[in-house]
Amino acid sequence: MSYNVMLVDDSRSMRKVILKTLQLSGFEIGECLEASNGQEALDILEGKWIDLILSDVHMPVMDGFGFIRALREKDIYKDTPVVFVTTEANEDRLNQLMVLGGSGYIRKPFRPEEIRALLGRIMGETDGFRAGTSVEGCDF
Amino acid sequence: MALEQEQVLRDVISEVLEAMFFAMVDFEECGPGRPFDYESEIHLLNHNGRIAISLRVSEGFARMLTANFLGIEEYQVNDDDLEDSLKELANMVGGGYHARINHPDWQLGIPRVWKIGVEGVDSTQASAGVGFAFFGESAGSAVVNYLPC
Repeated sequence: MSYNVMLVDDSRSMRKVILKTLQLSGFEIGECLEASNGQEALDILEGKWIDLILSDVHMPVMDGFGFIRALREKDIYKDTPVVFVTTEANEDRLNQLMVLGGSGYIRKPFRPEEIRALLGRIMGETDGFRAGTSVEGCDF
Repeated sequence: MALEQEQVLRDVISEVLEAMFFAMVDFEECGPGRPFDYESEIHLLNHNGRIAISLRVSEGFARMLTANFLGIEEYQVNDDDLEDSLKELANMVGGGYHARINHPDWQLGIPRVWKIGVEGVDSTQASAGVGFAFFGESAGSAVVNYLPC
């Protein structure tokens, strides 16, 4: 099973790294949409179906807080899993993101195993992860 | 500062470089005026002032880090990738520093990067600083400055 994924981060390099990490974790990617901030993500989505969103928190124009608030106001995205991949260290702010509708968060720097474990839990798709390329076998 | 903040810097830099850039460095005294090529900087802000964390690295080290980060060969690294990766390095070092000082008042800003000599800043008044070497060769330095409002 493949998933349509959106990556939201103002760092193009980080988007590349996250995408590669997903692929190496055995996560089959269908369409991959990318945006450099929350507003751009909302503009690109425009009603398109998406299975999973991974988003940074600290971004110019619209940060992760604004993004999750605006996203959850749209019926089509009210249950879409949103995982924050962030350098945010403040527990209160991270908890606030979860209250606003975040599905989980991973702190940077992260290890591929952490993304794999969290997404396996959130997506309930452990078989798909087993079927893919193992993290141990990657050259990333 | 000094020693405590220096140790925090060392711990954070080691963690970030090892986890995301697959590079292990040795730390050394941070002397002024070393000729590095790029500087990336991030601020932690609160209502009383800001903490500026600046990282300076040689171009060769930056290129190697970027290649490792993106999983590509060094010859494939372009300037945009290099600068973007250095910003992300500053972002993660800033986040790690914030986590270790563990004070909820501070908020992380947006990182920036520049080529030294074009838009350089004076970091000689830093309240803490460390240098680091990669395979015995001086590769970069990191400094922390507290700047009151």
